[in-house]
Amino acid sequence: MEYRVLLAESDRLMLERLGQVVNDTPNFTLAAKFQNVSDALGQGTVFNPNLILLDIEQPGGMGLIDEFKKVYPTAAILCMGEKWQAENASHSVKAGAKGYIIKPFTGVELQETVDTFSRLGSEAGSETLVFFSPKGKSGKTTLIANLAMALARKTREPVGIIDADLQFGDMAVFFNLAPQTTIVEAVRDTKFLSPASLSSYYMPVAPNVSVLCGTKTPNMIDKVSIHRLENLIAMSRSLFRYILIDVPAGFNPTSIAAAEASTTTFVMSMINGGYEIDHMKRALDIFRDWEDMETRVKTIFTRVEPCDSRSKLELSQKLGYPVTEIIPNEYTIVSDAADKGKMATDIRPDSPLSRQVDRLADNIIGRQHRIRWAAS
Amino acid sequence: MPGFTQEIHGVVITFFSTASAVGKTIISTNMAAELARQGKKVCLVDFDLQFGDVSNYLQILPQCTSFDLQQAMALQGSNVRAEEYLTPYEYHNVVFYVLAAPTKLEESYNIDADKAAGMIRQLQNVFDYVLVDTTSMFSKLNLELLDLSTIVSFLGIVDFIPTIKNMKIGTDTLKKLNYDKNKIRLILNRSNAKTRISIADVENLLGEPFYHILPNDFQAASRSIQDGVPLVLRSGGSELGDALRDLVARYTNRAYDDVTMDEDEGVSESWLSRIFG
Repeated sequence: MEYRVLLAESDRLMLERLGQVVNDTPNFTLAAKFQNVSDALGQGTVFNPNLILLDIEQPGGMGLIDEFKKVYPTAAILCMGEKWQAENASHSVKAGAKGYIIKPFTGVELQETVDTFSRLGSEAGSETLVFFSPKGKSGKTTLIANLAMALARKTREPVGIIDADLQFGDMAVFFNLAPQTTIVEAVRDTKFLSPASLSSYYMPVAPNVSVLCGTKTPNMIDKVSIHRLENLIAMSRSLFRYILIDVPAGFNPTSIAAAEASTTTFVMSMINGGYEIDHMKRALDIFRDWEDMETRVKTIFTRVEPCDSRSKLELSQKLGYPVTEIIPNEYTIVSDAADKGKMATDIRPDSPLSRQVDRLADNIIGRQHRIRWAAS
Repeated sequence: MPGFTQEIHGVVITFFSTASAVGKTIISTNMAAELARQGKKVCLVDFDLQFGDVSNYLQILPQCTSFDLQQAMALQGSNVRAEEYLTPYEYHNVVFYVLAAPTKLEESYNIDADKAAGMIRQLQNVFDYVLVDTTSMFSKLNLELLDLSTIVSFLGIVDFIPTIKNMKIGTDTLKKLNYDKNKIRLILNRSNAKTRISIADVENLLGEPFYHILPNDFQAASRSIQDGVPLVLRSGGSELGDALRDLVARYTNRAYDDVTMDEDEGVSESWLSRIFG
């Protein structure tokens, strides 16, 4: 697609600089540039732009988006700011912009940002799925890896995994990755990043699936502040249709912050003949503070044998809360795949494990369609 | 000086791991029971504060928990008598005491690491052995516990590579903390469980041999959880119960006859280099 760009930027030097970048970027031409917003609104239509780059940090701010939408109903609006602010980005998207870019930007960043929103629509449709477990060894890393693959395969939309199990995250081992950049670098740099540049911190593992790996040593946990983690999640929303987040077991600042940022939190445990139902009950009690708990908190049990509707019903009754999905015991397959670093690609698609993961993926996709439909 | 008795601080054994579900609770409850059976004064502390299973595994219903003790400490300072906040476990003639985890999660969340360490110091004044069950992570509380422990039982299992990776991170971190070598004791649980990874490989990777190896006796372990009775207190015995007794004997220096461990013959496989190459 050819982009005819209208640039509205209040700073004279920045205006010149960005105009140059736009002109130097393949597939982009500068249709017009204005330092004054009223000029841009009154005169720009003559040049028939289809992409508007709008300085949002000037008088009028967010309100300008609405003005530009009225005058340029068919053009896409990309807001520009000096630094990334999750709130600004999110507000501008809610106000009708397609995305948010940090200025000054390079041609590559402009291209990537436009690619991202044209692929995704906008962050409004992004779902953040957090996988919480009361105790460790719940099978959540296995589930996340496989679910991410299923979601990407079924929707052909981008899926991101964040390994926020900050001390002992296993995602890198599961996918046999030796990451150059991890969540530590990503949160360190979010201040300077825009969504497009953040995407390079994620490691691609399969078509449409990328992973942001966890910390390499436990002491790095101190480098990931909660505020920055929240920022990272918010920014990732404009990169992926689905973000799957692996968090440390139990209630801790990380797992709580991720759950608060989630569209859906899956509370999960592995059946091992102990007290896991009791632990799940106690964990669910904490989520009762959420007014929308019933729609937002889902439960999953892993290693359920026999893995049938009757077991599911029994578990629901014992738990006193609906069980969304049960995953069968496939210890040999799972440990073998993890040992080979082929967690999500080596598991046979016709195995009972894959079937259950597929069902869960359908459930998530179906629900989102309903949400989108309701919102339209 | 007549009548003077030197204050004695008991032994603190912390059960720690960096992989979950390795058997910390079953091992700590059994060691507590075995030490008590030998006539020692024993307190088992459940510092898996949120989802601890000590009370579950022993099927006791505590009236007081570490949260109550923390509140009392806030009011009374060092005058508090920690032993008043314990719950006894009794089976036949064996008795030991439990400092239970809080009942409510918000209470668990609000246990302060320094206060918790203070509880252990209080209990050391009263008991020969204070055993501490923990969560699988390097938290502030766990680091304080590692510091004040006489012995750290670092537990692991050999099942699949993510677990091994986390054990390696755990032992490396413990080495960095520079504890005396014989303070940290590597214990392997469920050694004959089904896996393709050899124990020798893991020992090579961790850079030291396991101090003690416990067999996989899933049935005995789950039966003991169902009954609420530690294996070592059961007549008839079990393979795991016997191995746990041996472990206690080694900790208390009752036996020096080291059994030669069976080690699988292992060739170094590519997974070693995959994690740390």
